[in-house]
Amino acid sequence: MKAIFAALLVPFLLSAADDVKSHVLDNGMKVLVQEDHNIPNVAMYFFYKIGSRNERPGITGVSHFFEHMMFNGAKKYGPKQFDNAMEKAGGNNNAYTTHDLTVYTDWFPATALDLMFDMESDRIRDLAFDPKIIESERGVVYSERRTSVDNSNLGMLYEQLGAAAFTAHPYHWPVVGWPSDIEGWTMDDLKTHFKTGYAPNNCTLVVVGDTTDAQVMALARKYLEPIPRQAPPPAIRTKEPEQHGERRVSVHKQAQLPIQLIAYHVPDAKSPDSDALDVLEALLTNGQSCRLYKRLVDSDQLAINIGGSHQPSLDPGLFVFTIQPRSGIDTTKTEAALFEEIGKVQAAPVPGEELRKAKNQLLSTSFRQQKTIAGRANLLGSYEIFAGDYKKLFSLEKDIEAVTAADVQRVAKKYLTADNRTVATLVPEGK
Amino acid sequence: MRLIGLILCLVSLASADVRLPKYTRQQLPNGTVIYLVPRPGVPLVNFRIAVKGGFEAEASTESGVAQLTAQLLRRGTTTRTADQFSLELDSLGGSFNATANEEETLISSEFLKKDFNAGLALTADAVLHPSFPEAEFRKTLSRGIDSLRSVKDNPQGAMPLYFRAFFFGPKHPYGRVADEVSLSNLTRANLIAYQTRLYAGKNLIVVAGGDFDSATAGPALEKAFGTAPAGTEYKWIAEAPLPTGRRLLLIDKPDATQTYFDIGQPGLRRTDPDRTAALLVNTIFGGRFTSMLNDELRVNTGLTYGARSYYDQHRDLGSTVISTYTRTETTERAMDSALELLNRLVTKGITADQLASAKAYVKGTYPPQHLETSDQTTAMVSDIELFGLNRGEVDDLFSRIDAVTLEQANLIARNHYGSKDLTFVVIGNAAKIRDVVKKYAPDFREVSIKATGFTLKQ
Repeated sequence: MKAIFAALLVPFLLSAADDVKSHVLDNGMKVLVQEDHNIPNVAMYFFYKIGSRNERPGITGVSHFFEHMMFNGAKKYGPKQFDNAMEKAGGNNNAYTTHDLTVYTDWFPATALDLMFDMESDRIRDLAFDPKIIESERGVVYSERRTSVDNSNLGMLYEQLGAAAFTAHPYHWPVVGWPSDIEGWTMDDLKTHFKTGYAPNNCTLVVVGDTTDAQVMALARKYLEPIPRQAPPPAIRTKEPEQHGERRVSVHKQAQLPIQLIAYHVPDAKSPDSDALDVLEALLTNGQSCRLYKRLVDSDQLAINIGGSHQPSLDPGLFVFTIQPRSGIDTTKTEAALFEEIGKVQAAPVPGEELRKAKNQLLSTSFRQQKTIAGRANLLGSYEIFAGDYKKLFSLEKDIEAVTAADVQRVAKKYLTADNRTVATLVPEGK
Repeated sequence: MRLIGLILCLVSLASADVRLPKYTRQQLPNGTVIYLVPRPGVPLVNFRIAVKGGFEAEASTESGVAQLTAQLLRRGTTTRTADQFSLELDSLGGSFNATANEEETLISSEFLKKDFNAGLALTADAVLHPSFPEAEFRKTLSRGIDSLRSVKDNPQGAMPLYFRAFFFGPKHPYGRVADEVSLSNLTRANLIAYQTRLYAGKNLIVVAGGDFDSATAGPALEKAFGTAPAGTEYKWIAEAPLPTGRRLLLIDKPDATQTYFDIGQPGLRRTDPDRTAALLVNTIFGGRFTSMLNDELRVNTGLTYGARSYYDQHRDLGSTVISTYTRTETTERAMDSALELLNRLVTKGITADQLASAKAYVKGTYPPQHLETSDQTTAMVSDIELFGLNRGEVDDLFSRIDAVTLEQANLIARNHYGSKDLTFVVIGNAAKIRDVVKKYAPDFREVSIKATGFTLKQ
């Protein structure tokens, strides 16, 4: 068994920082390019630094709505033409919105590179605002909310968790928006949002795939550079005040089984504690050998499954544990077991072998995410935005290796405290 | 680009054909078929083992035995406890998954290149030497029962289970969906019997892919799997008939504020000669964002967040399914619209422009979806062996796509979408939609989502 506790011992990255070319256009847009000729395709990701944290009561969800509107026509390419032209050229696309970002993801054959630059620049520069289309798209967004929140027990509980954990900071409201705001956005709200959020100087473009740095930059200069710089979104002033006592929220809903979400405030992605929190998350929640699986799922049989999530964020965010208790199990028991396991991590440094295992898991996970051009485009952009520099992706191994057992114990004691937690419970009804 | 640059370019030009990497096939004396698909570059190796049988090999009274057996493979072997297995796997940063489907159990794992031998040893141990400890069996069984309950809290998760049970019916092996009762009746002995009968040389396909040296990998795989008993070759069951007529199952979920519906009809076998043309037709009908279904139900009318259609292809005849959801109040409008689009496809067909666009779309999206990573190519090679296909499945794909004419595509549209045998499965608030959905099928049934299982009691 000794061999298995070894470090990974191979360079875990598929590429190095100097494979990525970084440029800034005259209008402030950052462009990252990584060539990869494995398949004849390109992944092109636009990261706009605007999300629900840039909203206010009354227009919650407008960033996400905008993500939809970006596909509904601009000056040169009218309604439906973005998708039609792209699919006809062999590509497809998606987009996602978070509290912090709106990201547009294009995947296409290398032959469609010019078309994609043309269409992306068209919609950034000259988006159309057709009242009829806005109303139709409002229905689509409502349907998305009904699916992901109203008819999803986990989605509804998550919404309430965020609303309880954040009392002042904009992470308080859901990315999809409150129902009354979805009904209420006006044309002015949309136009204002577009002007601030979609400034080229508020965007990082990442291109990975079967192309060259020279090709990408020639097209970026032709299509994107002429778009004028604008004032970026105003800084977020509100800071979430420190929490001074446990908060509890419950959702009563028809369900077969309860769900628990237990969240702790943690710092933003640039914090020096981020890597230690990642290691803590891995050793508590990753794989069937992790502490919480072994305790709650396996030995005590209290839960169907457990999970942990610590997403990078621009402002201080949440470390969330998810528990799906077993049928007939009192949720106080699952909670007590979780708190006891957290207590153990706080009381004593984790053994070296366990620390090694958690680090290997983290590094191999990152490695797997880099197998595809899409995965690498997403990681490069995420590191550039959240860590402030894409090169952090390439120092991940060094950064994770630097985390000590004492660091893990320290962050567990610092953040996973009773006063700093919010417990959301879905209580089944109508059985 | 230091490492990626070493990878052989799979496609020389965008317009050229795509090709699977070179691979070798070898059959061991015990019947096990071994494929090596070396792909230097990314320093990972992956293993994929297909065990013939899957759901169709389950006795009618043992629904769930294939999946439960798969889940227990890693929960104790003759030389490792469940804890030891998990610790070893996680310490290597490896991945391991095992799941059953209609015709096979699939075990797939992935490790760093340097851990080829350790990863192979772990994977082969789980597949060939599971010990099914009684305590692990009890725990996994009772957790499985709770999982089947909790899936009903998520209509999109529950829909495929209800659909499969109702579409194929209880007499068809694909239609026997595991539930609380069928799982409760299983014993450890059932699992051992299933594993002993099927996880034998004559039913094993082993594919190794990734960055390795075939000269050493081949003998290592031979050693790991050559010791398996040859066993008895599993005989695929005879083709089973599908229920006929228009039938509708309404699942009452009183708190639902939207209606989820699937509309299915007989589809294609995985080896159907029409599969390439059908892929193109489905792309146009419901297989991409600009498809007829999504364009009308989402883009034009805002009735839903998404509408699609897909083929569920297996060894035996599968289903062709329209799948979407809408708010409770627009149930009838959305269902009428979906049926109207189906009728339009069958009666008016598609245009040359649509077909050209679909051809470009399928070709353009194929490499990232099927050929970019080693695990994608091993999956394809494993399917090629299981279904009796050959490497032309990939290598000739683009020329098969190019060869599809508009007339052929429209014939496929008529033949594969024009069935009178439509199966509707609807999850929603029955009090509000019962009268609306009754009109779609003379054979109307209703069940509460709280009722045990996914199969209507006859």
